[in-house]
Amino acid sequence: MAKPLSQRPSTAATEVKRALPLIAWVALSAQAEPQAIVTSPAPVRVSVTVYRDTDRGLEPLNLQWLGGYALVSEVRHVRLPAGTSDLRFQGVTSGIVPQSAIVTGLGLAVLEKNRDARLLSPGSLLDASLGERLTLRRTSKETGKTVVQDAIVRATGDGVVIQTASGIEALRCTGLSETVTVPSVPVGLSAKPTLSVKVRSPEPVETDVTLSYITNNFDWQANYVAEQSADGQRISLFAWLTLANGDATVLANAQTQAVAGKLNRQRVWVNPGEAKPILITCWPQGTTSDIAGEVSPVTMLASEDIVVTGSRLAAPPPPPPPPPAAAAERGGYDAEEERLGEVRLYRVPINVTVASRSQKQLALLERPSVKVERILTLRTYGGTFDVPLQRVLVTHNRSSEGLGLPLPAGKLALFGMKNGRRILLGEGSIDDYTLNEKVEFKVGEAPGVRAKQTVDNGEGDTSFKLVVTNDMASAQTVEIELPLEARATGKKLVKRDGWMLWRVIVPANGTAELTYRLG
Amino acid sequence: MRSVFLLCTALAVAAPVFAQQPAVPVPGQTAQGDVAVTIYNNDRALIEDKRQLDLPNGRSRQEFRDVSANIEPATVTLNGRGVGVVEQNFDFDLLSPEALMKNAVGQEVTLVRVNPASGQETRERARVLAANGGVVMQIGDRIEVLRDDGLPARVIFDGVPASLRARPTLSVTVDSSGGGRRPVTLTYLTTGLAWAADYVALFDEANGRMDVQGWITLTNNSGTPYTNASTLLVAGSVGQAPNRYGGGYYPPPPPPPPPPGGLIRAGTQTSGRERLGDFYLYPLPERTTIADKQTKQVSFLDVKSAPAARAYEFRNGWLSTSNEPLSADTVLRFSSSRDQGLGDALPAGTVRVYQRDARGNPQFVGEHHINHTPMGSDIGLATGQAFDVKVRPVVEERTRISSSRWKTRMRYTLTNAGPKPIVVDLIQSGLWGDTRIDVESMKSERLSADDTRWKVPVPANGEATVTATFDSRY
Repeated sequence: MAKPLSQRPSTAATEVKRALPLIAWVALSAQAEPQAIVTSPAPVRVSVTVYRDTDRGLEPLNLQWLGGYALVSEVRHVRLPAGTSDLRFQGVTSGIVPQSAIVTGLGLAVLEKNRDARLLSPGSLLDASLGERLTLRRTSKETGKTVVQDAIVRATGDGVVIQTASGIEALRCTGLSETVTVPSVPVGLSAKPTLSVKVRSPEPVETDVTLSYITNNFDWQANYVAEQSADGQRISLFAWLTLANGDATVLANAQTQAVAGKLNRQRVWVNPGEAKPILITCWPQGTTSDIAGEVSPVTMLASEDIVVTGSRLAAPPPPPPPPPAAAAERGGYDAEEERLGEVRLYRVPINVTVASRSQKQLALLERPSVKVERILTLRTYGGTFDVPLQRVLVTHNRSSEGLGLPLPAGKLALFGMKNGRRILLGEGSIDDYTLNEKVEFKVGEAPGVRAKQTVDNGEGDTSFKLVVTNDMASAQTVEIELPLEARATGKKLVKRDGWMLWRVIVPANGTAELTYRLG
Repeated sequence: MRSVFLLCTALAVAAPVFAQQPAVPVPGQTAQGDVAVTIYNNDRALIEDKRQLDLPNGRSRQEFRDVSANIEPATVTLNGRGVGVVEQNFDFDLLSPEALMKNAVGQEVTLVRVNPASGQETRERARVLAANGGVVMQIGDRIEVLRDDGLPARVIFDGVPASLRARPTLSVTVDSSGGGRRPVTLTYLTTGLAWAADYVALFDEANGRMDVQGWITLTNNSGTPYTNASTLLVAGSVGQAPNRYGGGYYPPPPPPPPPPGGLIRAGTQTSGRERLGDFYLYPLPERTTIADKQTKQVSFLDVKSAPAARAYEFRNGWLSTSNEPLSADTVLRFSSSRDQGLGDALPAGTVRVYQRDARGNPQFVGEHHINHTPMGSDIGLATGQAFDVKVRPVVEERTRISSSRWKTRMRYTLTNAGPKPIVVDLIQSGLWGDTRIDVESMKSERLSADDTRWKVPVPANGEATVTATFDSRY
């Protein structure tokens, strides 16, 4: 609401102004002390750490609605004059959580941090000009002749009422081409929500400040690409770090990190800024040619709140993970992993540009030869069924198996080679696995290996008969988990992790059978 | 970057000093006087606005501009020397083209027709007969519908009716004894102003210390700026009578319930802060302008090197088997006491925890909400789940020992892939009723009828096992 009243509050200030061309002086009001506005247009260096949406579970990334977040840390070079100044940070992300912003490097000089969400829009421009003398311009559509005159905006809430030299009129209810023009942008309106700090310093300061904040609308996940060896006993494992930025801001040449693990986060509501159109309504406009004439305004712009939607993201589906290039070509740019408190931090070794509204893939980790056991599994609670078994690749996360590193949650695609051709064998996903854990890659169903269970209700005694059939030309290891009360006839079941395990090797093109009772 | 600097200067210098007309109030200047704002946590604020009014002797009607757009008109009071209030009005009959036309029914307006070909203007006086669906006018001796021919026609009204206003306006009719300028205090409640605390905790795990900065975050969604206001924040929620229409302001949806953690033991120390009744007061050190749609943060707490420790907690909800090992919660424990902690009462807000990475850059490692916390409290905030610490609860055996009793043998396997030995608080919940522990591999502590706890040491890169047999009714 304040207006620039003076460009020159004092001679001392004039000197400072010569030295620092970016400072504009304004006096905010009669009571407030004069303060300089200093704008920091862009950071010198950016670092971004991306955090996963832990509620997403194993769902794929939805580029239009990213539930993760990022910690952005920007180094900015600023020059502040002596006295009180308002340091404005431009080019921060639009998903910024203003409460989380931290400014370091200015010490005790920071009086307050502000984030203003009053946006410059046609509606707010007119609102802020309420009561001001503006220019009304009318243009004849036929002759092109323009008539310019002074006008005062008297109301903007529900249609625009203006006062001209002739009297009170309504804007754009006349059938004429008319508009009002405003001499300057009111102070306090900006194109994007603005983050600023109010600083007081006894002498001019030139320094680097670090601005850190949490921003919404980022996410990442690991995308594993596994290639199975000819004998099926080993896989080569490669993982992409898939980053997604749903924000409109480009993080150029940024030091990039990703954090694996599940952190607690409070959901906060951030005012996305208020952008209003000019609301034109007129008096009843019915004429004798209307049939059931009721109100039909000439121009009716519905007032609407700005809702952050992803519709402008144009919905490109997330591309499938590209097959890995040969290790030599990648040049060893795998991310460096380190322990950060109780989670894991992955550091991308080179600075990269995280473009706006885009997805990016970087090498995360690689293990050329991981020993796996290919088994088929089923868990049953009883009843009658005839179902295919689940194919699972089992390994242990230790170096003796060729693995031995933390595995962040993500998707897995398993490929095999047949006659020199790459074939997708299955897709699955994993949760976070730490060192020395048993790792299971569930890659899909094996249609040729089936389990059929039938119930035999004998004399007061229910028994189950389970038959596993194998249509493959090789023997298959099958693990079937039965309830704790299961007791098998003629076979020994093993107790494992709260289930009774029947582990059997089904011969090639053969069957295996089990009869058991519950309790 | 230099060109951007120059552009900014050019814009600022180019902004002309705009001549103001005295006929209408200057929009850049607020009508507010000496403003004092008191903000509570529950979206409520008390505004005290001391204005200098020039009152005539006797009755007069005074309009108050620049009051909150979310004002609760029924709470307005006006105080001043020799000023008696006759009536208060909150007028929301808005000035709009339609309201103008409806008010002009029966009156004369000027009609200016513009010839589309020549641009020639013709002026006529017209009487508005009705404005229902369309506008019917009498011009001389003929009746006409406004703009029935679709040709341009300006309607010029002679004036604005006194009852129509650009914005909802508070007006008070006062009875003043003696004329003259005097201070008058306007007091009212409004919604749309709220505050909470935000804490930045930089945790140094190696040394068991943390630095904490506290910020007061206040938000103004009341539709009005408060210029150069003396601001006081009250850590508490004043009682609020239920309002069926929510005061016209729709707060954001409530956040989901927080995960376990928070206050472990409430403190009993009194903070050195100002107090009023049951509430702590946080005055802002300087007058400040709270702009509309603004989020403002002011520092109120800065503590270096307070003791803090990492702890691990795992809660099994029922005597059940999990499908896979589950991560334990990682908990940051600290105190708000005078000697061994932050040494202050903590207003409700969000604590964001940071730790330095290998290169020394602070990285975010989780956040948690706290309620108003007295000084001297023990606090445990669950900031996330441990990547390296997992617990797998397994039901080993379940046997029926009588028609109403069961025995459940549980085994908990705790694994630690980290390089340091740790202690995990293993809590078995769901013991409500008369569940007993018959045998256990280490001594447990019954926290409540529902919960029992083992403090289990787990070696570095190793595992530990706890077994217990529960005797329960189900």
